Amino acid sequence: MELAIEIRNLKKSFGGRSVVNGVTFDVPKGECFGLLGPNGAGKTTILRMLSGSTRVQEGELFMLGLSIQSSLREIKSRIGVVPQGDGLDPELTVFENLLIYSRYLGFQGLGAEDRIHELLKSVALDDRAEQLVDTLSGGLKRRLAFIRALLADPELLILDEPTAQLDPQARNWTWDFLRGERERGRTIIITTHDMTEAELLCDRVALISKGRLIDLETPKNLIEKYWGPEVIELKMNRTDIGYYSNRLRERKVEYQVFGDSILAKTTPEFTQGDLFKGFKSPLMAVRKPNLNDVFLKLTGTGLQEGESI
Amino acid sequence: MKSLSLPTTWESMRSVWSRNFLQFRKTWLVSIFWIVLEPLFVLGALGYGLGSYVPQVHGTSYLEFFFPALLCNTTMLVAFFECTYANFTKLSHTKLYHTALYTPMMPNHLLGGEILWGASKAMFSAVGVLIIALALGAVGSAKIILALPVIFLSSCFFAMLGMLFTSLVKNYDQIIYPSSGLIVPLSLFSGTYFPLEAMPKALQVIAYLSPLTHAVSATRAIQQGQFSAMLVINIAFLILLLVGLSRITARSFERRLID
Repeated sequence: MELAIEIRNLKKSFGGRSVVNGVTFDVPKGECFGLLGPNGAGKTTILRMLSGSTRVQEGELFMLGLSIQSSLREIKSRIGVVPQGDGLDPELTVFENLLIYSRYLGFQGLGAEDRIHELLKSVALDDRAEQLVDTLSGGLKRRLAFIRALLADPELLILDEPTAQLDPQARNWTWDFLRGERERGRTIIITTHDMTEAELLCDRVALISKGRLIDLETPKNLIEKYWGPEVIELKMNRTDIGYYSNRLRERKVEYQVFGDSILAKTTPEFTQGDLFKGFKSPLMAVRKPNLNDVFLKLTGTGLQEGESI
Repeated sequence: MKSLSLPTTWESMRSVWSRNFLQFRKTWLVSIFWIVLEPLFVLGALGYGLGSYVPQVHGTSYLEFFFPALLCNTTMLVAFFECTYANFTKLSHTKLYHTALYTPMMPNHLLGGEILWGASKAMFSAVGVLIIALALGAVGSAKIILALPVIFLSSCFFAMLGMLFTSLVKNYDQIIYPSSGLIVPLSLFSGTYFPLEAMPKALQVIAYLSPLTHAVSATRAIQQGQFSAMLVINIAFLILLLVGLSRITARSFERRLID
């Protein structure tokens, strides 16, 4: 199996504060790989090391078979990066943004311009080529940033929270776009704290918390491994949480307290009725568990901002 | 279409330059106002206005004495400000430098391209002012055209100085420190508006450390056809400063971009 990314015991600290603390994983070519974790977990720092924006402090990082220490320029000529905030040139038009960037990549002449027009057409931006970037909507700016990353026809695409701050329509467009690029054989690595996105796009996800890798699996396996097919979610008054969690502990049911709710794992031995016989009917729902529940169970915190207990 | 090899240093620098030139072409009119018209107003007010009250300086008219200094001074300001305010935006607000680094571009290429651009814009100014002043007959001797390479050298130095401060400041306000604390005094006390001998001895010594003093002195010498040892010293001093500053600036700029 050919590897697009090999990371061994990667470490990074800023001013004595450890941000990435010994992370190891591989990404095979052709995979869509997700780095999942709450804000400040260290996933963006890992991504910044991949794109060369942050130096590797300790450990090894190989991309496309090349060491980032000795072959940074060659690696950079074979990857495409979409940063948070797009990094577009507001003083230039859509076409000029791509033209200048393709010069940075070393492409000149009519061939380069043909490639730009082809890419603009592929994302329906061709009629906006002469528009200033500042006049585009957020969704269209993101589109432009995506095709800018494709100019070099990269083997690996690196995207930092590709759907952050997009409306639902643009988000769906992005997911379709990324699935299309994956089908074309590009390796994709994204960071996200959106569990739907991770489940929908990623072949495998790495769960990152406090600079460490806590698990790495397909989304389906992770959910299966930690919660099984169904969970029961109980919503209640915070003051009652102690009472209900004691009941669950007595019955040896796996559960996780989260804010004003409790998630409990269903088991064949406990049908719903058995489990809640005698409970004073708190708000209760049986549902499919998701990656957020997995994260919650492993770290005690959710994936979204401000969801920590 | 796909390039077989990575772009060379020169190609990378040229592409950075070309981005700025593209943007300049869209906004040239506003640039002309400050890089050509403004210095011409100064020339009118000081050269003709004030100059008519001043007897000869070193055997030439005040206008002839002042014009080389005006060219050096203006190009210093253009190169320095182009590389501070405009480029701090690329570093902080629009993150254009970070985006450029996702390509085979390295910080040194960006730095080299920006310095060349800052110096080029300064040269547009010098050439613009020179053409109009020649047409008006305000220059004295057309030999001053031969001083353009010296003016370019000095512009490269001040563009680089601008890049150094851009890599150090935390916000736009802090650019005031080098501009009011260094660039303005340089523009006033480098033998620009009055001869160095008018200052106390101690200040004259300090003035000789100013790169602008050497640029002005060299430009004046060329204008007057005095090709002496002093001219060589002036040019050597500028080259020395440029080389010395390049290492510090490159290190500082890279550290600011890649943590």
